[in-house]
Amino acid sequence: MHILIVEDELPLMESMVSYLEMEGFRCEQATSYHAGLCSLDKHAYICMLIDLNLPDGEGLDLVRLARQNKTSSGIIIVSARNALEERVKGLSLGADDYLVKPFHLSELVARIQSVARRTRTQGEEILKFGVIRVMPEERTCYVNERQVDLTRKEHDLLLYMMANRNRVITKESIADYLWGEYGGGYGSYDFVYTHLKNLKRKLQDAGSPDYVQNIYGVGYKFTLE
Amino acid sequence: MKLLTKTTLYIATLSLFLFFFMGIIFFQVLKNMSISELNRELSRTKEVVVDVFPHFLGGQLKGLPGIDSISIKLAWPGMEASDQFGDTLMLEPMTNQYMTFRYIQFRSEHGNVAYAIKLFKSTTPADKLVEQVTLMMTMMVILFLAGIFFLNRFIFANLWKDFFGALEKLKQFDTVKEPLKLGDPDVEEFIELNRVLERMSLRLCSDYRELREYTDHTTHELQTPLAVIKTKTELLMQSTNLGSKEMQLLQSINTSTNHLSRLNSTLALITRIENQQFTQKLKINLKELLDKHLGMLHELVELRNIVVERRCEGKKQFITMDNGLADILVTNLLNNAIVHNVEGGKIIVEVADGALCISNNGPALSFNEQDLFKRFVRDTKRTGNFGLGLSLVKKICDYYGFRISYTYEMDLHLFRIIFPK
Repeated sequence: MHILIVEDELPLMESMVSYLEMEGFRCEQATSYHAGLCSLDKHAYICMLIDLNLPDGEGLDLVRLARQNKTSSGIIIVSARNALEERVKGLSLGADDYLVKPFHLSELVARIQSVARRTRTQGEEILKFGVIRVMPEERTCYVNERQVDLTRKEHDLLLYMMANRNRVITKESIADYLWGEYGGGYGSYDFVYTHLKNLKRKLQDAGSPDYVQNIYGVGYKFTLE
Repeated sequence: MKLLTKTTLYIATLSLFLFFFMGIIFFQVLKNMSISELNRELSRTKEVVVDVFPHFLGGQLKGLPGIDSISIKLAWPGMEASDQFGDTLMLEPMTNQYMTFRYIQFRSEHGNVAYAIKLFKSTTPADKLVEQVTLMMTMMVILFLAGIFFLNRFIFANLWKDFFGALEKLKQFDTVKEPLKLGDPDVEEFIELNRVLERMSLRLCSDYRELREYTDHTTHELQTPLAVIKTKTELLMQSTNLGSKEMQLLQSINTSTNHLSRLNSTLALITRIENQQFTQKLKINLKELLDKHLGMLHELVELRNIVVERRCEGKKQFITMDNGLADILVTNLLNNAIVHNVEGGKIIVEVADGALCISNNGPALSFNEQDLFKRFVRDTKRTGNFGLGLSLVKKICDYYGFRISYTYEMDLHLFRIIFPK
């Protein structure tokens, strides 16, 4: 469960490491291009988080080098640069995802898991949470062997909650995850609420307990307790 | 009024004024001169007449040179002894017309009889002369004015050529483009003017560029500290020993940080559009683009029970632009139509020939309609948005030369974008 983080901004690095370690990942930290280069082959990472603006080099080169080494790790570019060309360039060099700073840590985790799923080689993955089973690839969801019909957004929302189980998830982070950058606006918080309500209803109708804890004014927590 | 017209008018007014008064004075002087000349001639003739008077009486002399007519009467009592000059009208027997004559009247005694003698001389030749001279003068004035007129044109076409050239370039000047290059005219004042203009344009361009770079850097540099704040609050939220009060505080920080980062990324985008960093040009099917985004917004629309009416059947409308900007343009317009709609309202999306119309129900604007596309102008009653969406739309439209207009009629806000042919 190793993750390589190449990021020159130390406070940001610390936040990412703390959050990811809470999620059970082991983090390899590199604060410069060269440190990143040295760490590329240290472990079989499930995911690499690479910043583009590094003091001694270009993050894109790391992406290229990592892919030349035929690494099977997922690569997520984490950058303050938000131009479409940058994204296209990064993705065409072999990155799996592109996350724009500033981001939500919960979104980072969801993306890491999504990328890790995509790069996984062996068979279909089944995610379990209490009585809920989700097969992300087929977009199917079961509660105690009973299939639950979810819309695309509800499915994404469930995966997001499951990726950030036992964590406080803010409404904003959900809205941003489901909507992306330019969608939503303030209206989308109502939208998050409605979607979550529908999702909860569908799961409970199928016999699942209510796993969603409402944290008043802040957001939600997906937990077995 | 044009410079040429104005100068010509000034010169014409002044010269007409001058020529008019000069003409009157000149005419008077000429007239006086001709009268005094006549008087002198009459006086001279008078000497002769006095000398030859006896012969007159004898009837030996019929006429005298230098005068046209003579009348001799007996002097009346109280008649002035001195010479009297004057003008009179007399019938000219030849033409049978009344003509003006200058006369001299004097008293002459012969024998013991006093006579009143009047000598007449026609003023016609002198008048003719004055007339001719005046005519000549008038001709000269007209010629002079015409001369001035053409000279003025010539001066404008040649001397001021550089000035008008510079003016034309100045009109086309844009801070985004290169600073002005105005060349070297051969008039010193114009050289100076051009230098001043060039300096100013250089300054404008560099200020503008610096401002752009500054915004560019600031928006970019802000992202990292924002990311730090955002992630730290999120981490803090995961602490188990926080009360709900602390959580609320953290959430406030979180909300404001999100707000700030959205604001920042939108401003960065606007700056990038202003910096003309979008050069990609793709042919985009407007109908497909709308369908894609309406599909994505589908849930949000349903949430507010809004009915979307599409009127783009069978019409193929293509626009040429950057596809990222096209997405932003359409999402912002649609978002706007959803956010400012009413519960159970309507959105009409119409693709007409060379135009895209998006209209929605909603209460009238709470601010001035002209400010709609300005940055940070928004409905003060609503919170959460910061009034950048439409200014972004306007920026994109301006960038590609699309014309966007807004009207509010019958409870319907209508945005219309007209694409250039």
